[in-house]
Amino acid sequence: MAVAALLYAVAAWTVAPGFYDGFGPPQPYNWTCPPSQAGANSPPSSGHLTIKVIDGVSDANSAFTDDGQLVIGFLPGAFVVDGKSSITVDVKPLGSCPEPAGLRFVTNIYQVTASASLDPQKAANLVLRYSNLEPDPSNVYTATDPAGPWSAMARSQQGQPFTIETRTTRFGYFAAGYPASAPPPGAVTIGGGQALPIIAAILVAVVVLAGLPLAVMRRREKRTQR
Amino acid sequence: MRAGLLVLFVLLVEWSRASIAQQPRLALPALLVGGAALAASAIGWPAERLGLGTSRFGLRILGGLALGAVLVLPAAARSSAVPLLPAGLAVAAVAVSVGEELAFRGALYAALEELGGAPVAVLGSTLLWTLAHVLSHPPEFLGAVAAAGLLLALWRWACRDLVAPILGHVIADLAL
Repeated sequence: MAVAALLYAVAAWTVAPGFYDGFGPPQPYNWTCPPSQAGANSPPSSGHLTIKVIDGVSDANSAFTDDGQLVIGFLPGAFVVDGKSSITVDVKPLGSCPEPAGLRFVTNIYQVTASASLDPQKAANLVLRYSNLEPDPSNVYTATDPAGPWSAMARSQQGQPFTIETRTTRFGYFAAGYPASAPPPGAVTIGGGQALPIIAAILVAVVVLAGLPLAVMRRREKRTQR
Repeated sequence: MRAGLLVLFVLLVEWSRASIAQQPRLALPALLVGGAALAASAIGWPAERLGLGTSRFGLRILGGLALGAVLVLPAAARSSAVPLLPAGLAVAAVAVSVGEELAFRGALYAALEELGGAPVAVLGSTLLWTLAHVLSHPPEFLGAVAAAGLLLALWRWACRDLVAPILGHVIADLAL
């Protein structure tokens, strides 16, 4: 069992976050600036969408990045078309990771642009996927410039696990995060760094120490029964 | 015959659960129903054959806490914190982890043990557990899944106990 525990520790260490049972994100997050605990990283994708305008009304459609980390959905007639025959929407991850004062982002920053503005009465639904390597975000933040200022957007009810949703009536920069002054939501620090190898060794020992007497007693019972 | 039917049933439930959980807003019902269906595979087995019982209960609980800590440790070490599951999924996580243990280390283990003894039960339940996670996990995670399955199956064999694997699995799923 000790060997199996060590085998597991090695196998789980090579992939982030290690053991999980399908409740986490279906695929690893693609980071612009991967956190130190992330394993192998692929760069985040961008996305492009062309929306048809029929009889002066833009179609319902969704723009998304190829890795699905940002999805923005538009209602029929969501755009102010101004005689256009089609509308283009582009989603691009920002190539850098600015850290605005007082905020801690847990996703990449994405720029969403379109060739027409949104009808304020028909807000677009924006979904950001986040990683389970970081604490849950409390809000989606938006800005017209990555340098800020960033403002929090009203959060919609959560749909899929490890996603955060909001509604927007304008384009710009979007990222999910939480106020840096608040304790990170959903994380319990258990210590790190040099203490961890010791903790690992102790835990493996506990598995063996708890299992050994139980195993011996159970097998003695079986022998006695025979 | 019984082992074959059990294998088919459990794999079908796990793959259906994983596929349905990908649909928007169906994740929670899929996890809850999937967990209940997996638990149903243990119906008809005597508690002792499943490794359930109350004797040496303190040691079983201690073992479960230790197994849970070992399963969570690599993720905790990476991020210096234990990432916690969103609260809304906690009940589903408990349902799935209890269901999976009753199915894989409980009923399937017992059926395979009848068929070919402990080695077939340990290796067979680990292999099936890994296959069951093929649809819900990216390929690079399957090594860790298999190793976790092997650890839990070895505990089940060595201690003839399912209480500790259930507790350890619940702890790991609540954390991740």
